[in-house]
Parts: sequence; C-alpha cells; structure tokens
Amino acid sequence: MTPAGAAPGPIARAAHGRRRLPWRTRSPWRGTARPSWLLGAALFVLLAVAAASQAIAGRGGADPRAPTTLLELREAEASVDIDGARHTLRAALPYHWDRRHPGSAGSARFVIDFALDEVPEVPWAAFIGRVGNAYEIRLNDLLLSRAGELDVPDDADFAKVPKLMTIPVGLLRQANRLELLIRADVGRRAGLAPIVLGPETTVRSVHDSASRFRVRGSMVVVAVSLLAGVIALMLWLTQVDGDARGRPRRDALYLYAWGAELCFALRMSDALIERPPLSWPAWNAVTTGALGGWVGCLTLFCMVLVDQDRVRSSAWRRALPALAIASGAAAGFASVAWARPMVLTAWQGVLAVACIVFCIAYLVRTVRNPAPMQRLVAAALVLNVAVGLRDWAVFRLSDAYGHDTLLRYTALAFGLSLGYIAIQRFRTATSQARELLANLSDRVAERESALAESHRQYDVLSREQARVGERERILRDMHDGVGSSLSAAIRQLQGGQVGSDAVVATLRDALDRLKLSIDAMSVPPGDVVALLANLRHRLEPRLVGAGLALEWEVSEMAPVARFDAEAMRVLQSLVLEAVSNVLQHAGANTLRIEAEEVATGPRVRIIDDGRGFDASTRGPRAIAARAGTLHARLAVDGTPGRTTVEIVLPRAVP
Amino acid sequence: MHARLRMERPWEVLIVEDDAQTRAFLARCVDADPRLALAGSVGTRSEALVRLAECATPLDAMLVDLGLPDGSGLDLIAHAAEHRPACESIVVSVFGDESTVLAAIEAGAVGYLHKDAGMPDVAEAVLAVKAGGSPISPGIARRVLARCRAAPAGSRPATGPGVQAPAPRLSQRETEVLELIARGYSYAETARRQGVSLHTVQAHIKSLYAKLAVHSKSEAVYEASRLGLLAPPPR
Repeated sequence: MTPAGAAPGPIARAAHGRRRLPWRTRSPWRGTARPSWLLGAALFVLLAVAAASQAIAGRGGADPRAPTTLLELREAEASVDIDGARHTLRAALPYHWDRRHPGSAGSARFVIDFALDEVPEVPWAAFIGRVGNAYEIRLNDLLLSRAGELDVPDDADFAKVPKLMTIPVGLLRQANRLELLIRADVGRRAGLAPIVLGPETTVRSVHDSASRFRVRGSMVVVAVSLLAGVIALMLWLTQVDGDARGRPRRDALYLYAWGAELCFALRMSDALIERPPLSWPAWNAVTTGALGGWVGCLTLFCMVLVDQDRVRSSAWRRALPALAIASGAAAGFASVAWARPMVLTAWQGVLAVACIVFCIAYLVRTVRNPAPMQRLVAAALVLNVAVGLRDWAVFRLSDAYGHDTLLRYTALAFGLSLGYIAIQRFRTATSQARELLANLSDRVAERESALAESHRQYDVLSREQARVGERERILRDMHDGVGSSLSAAIRQLQGGQVGSDAVVATLRDALDRLKLSIDAMSVPPGDVVALLANLRHRLEPRLVGAGLALEWEVSEMAPVARFDAEAMRVLQSLVLEAVSNVLQHAGANTLRIEAEEVATGPRVRIIDDGRGFDASTRGPRAIAARAGTLHARLAVDGTPGRTTVEIVLPRAVP
Repeated sequence: MHARLRMERPWEVLIVEDDAQTRAFLARCVDADPRLALAGSVGTRSEALVRLAECATPLDAMLVDLGLPDGSGLDLIAHAAEHRPACESIVVSVFGDESTVLAAIEAGAVGYLHKDAGMPDVAEAVLAVKAGGSPISPGIARRVLARCRAAPAGSRPATGPGVQAPAPRLSQRETEVLELIARGYSYAETARRQGVSLHTVQAHIKSLYAKLAVHSKSEAVYEASRLGLLAPPPR
C-alpha cells in the first residue's frame, strides 16, 4: 500500500481507500485490563464498560459519510534532547514520552517525510490527537501551528486538547516534510500521537468526534459533578434530624457526597485547563490529591449508607478523605518534582488495591445484610472500581497514548445514586407524613366518636333527669294542689257542716289547680306574659263569680332566659297566691294586674282596693318564700284602699 | 239570618259523650234551653257516624268528646265538617288544654266547652258559636302567632303525612287581635283597644278558626284514617 513514487525516508503507512482508521482496530486496553477477576455479580458492569469503551474508541468510524482518502502518519525521524544529550532514532507513533523517558524532561524534533500521488486541489487538514506539552508544527517549512513555550519547562500544557490544522491549497506537494518540535515535562503525558491527514471536511469530522468526548464530555461531567455537589451541600445544610438525645444532627452522607463531587469536578476540570494556576508539580499535586479526595469521600459515602454511627464514632474512618488527599498530593508532587513517576503509579496501585478490597468487603456486606439503597451504591462501586482499574492500567502501565479515561463517565453513577437516594428518602418521608396524617385523622375520628358517644350518654342522662324533674313537679302539684283540695272536699263532706256550694267551690279549686298545672306545661319557659294571660283565662270565671272587677294592663315582654319550667311553676304559684289572697281576704271590688318591663326585668303588680293589711307583721310568707326562690324583688304595701304586691324579676342574677 | 232562623226553629244539637252522667247532664242543658233542641245523644263514635249520616233533620251543632271508646272525636269533627257543613262542632274537654283544643280546631271544631261548665254555660257556648263567636285561649292565640312567625304564610306549600300544618295567612288586624288576646285581654278589651266592635273581634276569631281548619283538614282526616278511626263515607 505504499504510494508509488514515495520519497525515501520514513514514510508512514498510508491508508488509502480504507474506511476504517487503523487505530480503530487496536483497542489498547484489551490486552492489559482483564476484568475476569471481578465478581459475577458485576458482569453487567463490565458489559457497560465494554460498551462505553467501544463507543468512545470507535469514534473515528462513526461517520459513514467519511471519504475514503485519509493518510495516517505513524513513523517519524526523532531527535530527542534530554539534559543536553541528543539521541536520534526512528520512532513509531504514538510517541509516549513518559514511557520512553520516564522521569525526564526535555524536547524533541520529529520529522516525517511523506509523498502524495496527486497534489490535492481542495484544502486539507491535519489532525493530531495529542501533541505537546508545548509544540510547533511546520509543513514544508511553513508554520502550521504553535502553542506554549518550547523553552520553559513545566509551563502551560497544550497537549490535552485534540489539534486540527488547516492546510491551504498549494502548500502540499507530491513530496512533503512535516516537522514537529515539542517540549516534554516529566509525568505530563507529553509526546506525539499519530497524525491524520486528508481533505479538511473529513479530518474535521474526525477531530470533532475526538473533541466531543475529550472536551465537551469533560465539560458536561464537570458541570454535572458541580451541580450534584451543590445539591448534596444544600441537602446537608437543610436536612437536620435529631439524634437519639434530641440534638440536631446533619446527615454525613450528603457531606461526603459533596466532597466527592467537588474533588471529582476539580480532577476532571484538569482536562480543560491548558494554563493551570500553579506550576506543573504543584498542579499535579492538586489534581492527584483531588483524585484521592474523591476516593476517600466516596468510601465514607458508602460506609455512611450502611452505618452512620460507626463512621461517626471512628476517627480513622473520618480521617480517610484527608489521608487520601494528602497522600495523593504528596505522590503527585513527588512523582514530578523528584522525577519519580513510579511513585504516582505505586500510589495509584495502592489505591486500586484498597478500592478492590473495600469493594469486595462492601459487596459481601451488601449481599448478606443490605441497608436501604446499598445495592445501588454497591453496583456503582463495582462499576467504578472496574473502570478505574482499566484506566489505571491504560494510563500508567500500557503504552496507550491519546486516549480518554472512562472513569469520568462511570463516576456519574455515584451522583445518580445520590439523586436516587435523595428521591427515595423524600418519598419515604412523604409516605411517613401521609401515614402520620392518616393516623392522626383516625385518632381524631376516634376521639370524635368517643365524644359523640359521651354526648349521647349525657343527652340520655339529661333527658332522664328532665323526666324525673317533671315527674317530681307533677307529683308536687298533685300533692299541694289537687290532692289537698280533694282531701279538703272529702273532709267537708265527712264533716257534713258545710253546704254543697262550699264543696263544689273546693272541687272547682282542685280542677282549676289541675288545669293550671297542665297549662304550665304549655307555657314557654320564661314567658311571664303568657303565664299571666293563662292565669287570667283560668281564673276569670272565679273572679266574675266573686263579683270582682278586673283591670288588665299587661305589656309585651321578652321571656326571662334564666327561668326554667320549675321557676315558671313557682312564679305561677306566687301570682296565684297573691290573687287568692285578694279573693279570700281583701274584700275588694277591683283587682288590677299590671305587668311591664322595667330597668332590671319584668315587673308584675297585683293591686286591689280592699281593706289592706300591715305588711310588716302580716306579710304573706308563702309569697315571700317563693319570691326568694326566684331571686325576685318583692315589695308589699298593705295600705287600705290600695294594697300592692309588686314583684320584679331581674333578668340577671348577681 | 241567624235571628230569622232562630225564630223558626231551635238549633238541633247532637251530643257525643261516652260518660253517661255527663251525657245526661249535657242533654239536660240542651233540653232546658228553649232555643236548643236535642237531635240525639250517643256514647260512641260509630253511633255518632250513623247519626251524622242518617239524621234527616238538619244538624246545627255537635257537642263532642274527643276520647270516645271506639276512637277519637277528631275524625267525627272532620267528618261533620265535610259532610254536614252547617253542623258546627264544639269540643267537650276536661282541661281545655292547648294541644287538645288546637287539634280539634284544625279538624274543624269552632269552639270548646269545659266539662265542669255550669248548665247555663253549655247552652251559652252553643248559642255563642251559632251567633258567630268562638272562644280562644291566650295560649292558643300565642301558639298560632308563634307558628305564623316561624313560617310566614305561603312558605310551606307541602301538606301531607308528617308535615306540620302550614301557618294560616293572617291579616294585619287579625294579628293585632291575636297579640292582644295572647297577652290576656278579653274580646271586649281587645275591641276597645283596637277601636272596633266586639262583633268584629269575634268575626276575626271565627275567620281564624276557619283558616286553621281549611289549612289542616286534610292532615286531620289523614291522621284519623291512618289511625283507623275514619269510617267509609256514608252512601
């Protein structure tokens, strides 16, 4: 497949007429990472990893519209300068500086001569997956691109982002020379990836595909991590429960989730930052420390989910994140500053072993006695450990160059787990609140029915009491009224000394009393006017019979609220007594009854023009007693010619 | 018209009273007054129904006891009001208590009489009713007023079983008259206070009786028939 008429020299394999890019067939981790050691339970995780890996690695062939003409340059004449010494060699690309020159900084010059069958008449472009850390690229002695300072070690790192360079029409000839100068820092993944040349549109799509995953993918990951971290922090700040002793307690789960997401965002943002704020060794300490912090916080996140109190009471457990950060920072710094990349590799190896051990222990614990949500987190843990090991193997052990870490994507599983945990907790809390509410309304209904029952019993009792009271009242009426009148009539008949008229009068009196008793049941309680009107209705025949003229002056008055049936009976007896006195003793011609509302309540006056009496000595005792029962004010004036019995019924009793 | 009729013949009175002594007393009272004639004197509801149906001479008044051995006097009153409109029913009651009297008025009675009334009182009660007067106690007046106030006239169109009789529609003057009577004033005092004649007051009361009866006759009949008291209408 070597193009005809190729210039002498290291001409790379030209992949004319091939749809698939050569690198697609070489999946660098296949031979290195062997996930067969993972537990069977994590099989699905591996499938996911494999799928993700394929999706990312297969980016070049993803576009079916890609034209067939692409040239991939995989060999170069290299001249490498390290500490003033120069080595010249023929190098295969990718050229991974850290693998070729571990612990050394320096510079290199790559020269690639390549020939073309025809001089292209459309613009071409060159794509380089990774070159740097600083670089200068010339084609046929014309500067194509330049970034960073070639002479300043540990300066900004421009190797991270995939490069695309447009080649104007006319620059390419049949025989061409591509010359690349790079500056390489220690442990910074310096070097040169294979170079892809071709028509601009095709190469641009290859570049865009690579850029999408490395740059935009990283941006998305960083944004999601920061968002998840903010949410976790908010949850930690706002969700305050009480502990066993009632002291406010925040959920450490959210705090560790926040720490993990923050560390992860910092670590991932490194892929986007070409000019870090710190010099290379210090910046490497920061990003490696962030990786340690991520692992430490996640470990505690997993632990807290199982048993928060155990984490709380164990100082060394709580110190894990700090330990991981410190050791990571130290390893990151040492590996660069002292030019010992193995320190970092070893630290990562120890971290990997620790993670595997923790993962297995966690899996066992999960299978035996899972806490809520623990299965989910365990799955995320297995996934991340597996992917982390794969990344570690690819980046620290293999010669792979220009590849992406997969961990950045799988780490999102923890963020999703956190979201799921928060949602589940919210649902649980909501359902508990609902149950509590239902429970509460059940209890309220229970209390209400108990209350209704006690009301019912009270009603029954008070009805019974009212019945008893009414019976007593009727019995008393029978005894005092009808009973005594009938007894009197019997005595009169037995004595034989009185005429039948007197007996008839006595019996009439008995009947009148009986009628009054019955009427008293109909008179509304407190209605003094109705009571007086009824008395008149019943007594009028007797008054007429006695030749007594009646004057009636009764105004309408509101009922006295405090008077019950018994009070009405007493009032009726009181007025009846007063009228009877007039009938029997006064020898009057006229009886006047007045009733009107005065300041304190209804006032009733019984006035006659009879002979009068000395109120101080011969006061109507029965009337006074009844007035006392009613809390009524009684005034008696026994002046001959105008005798007045006045009763005022206060509406309010002091 | 009353005066002209009275000149022609005495009022025919039917007595329905289960107590033999009282029945005899009432009969004596009727016999003793030349303005009255005894149309019959029976002790049971069924006998009374027969007399109401078969009596060839016009019946002018019926003195009726409510507690008859074979049923209530109320349905006799309702029956008479329906089939013998000229025959005016007067309830003979021991107590003349509100509930009894009001029920009788609603069934169609136009007056009531106490059992302990004297001989002249019985005749006077019949003559007063035939002259257009009806007695009313303050208690009954008060209850009718209370019913009118609680349910303004016309607001209770439904009649039938279990429904309290709708309030009668009272005129302003009728209401004022009733209010005075409820406060214990006599007809004469009421007339004086209202500045009307005694006859006008009596007319108001009679009209009130008619209204109460018209509004509640169907209930009274229904109630009586429900209790099995009402005989099938005479052929």
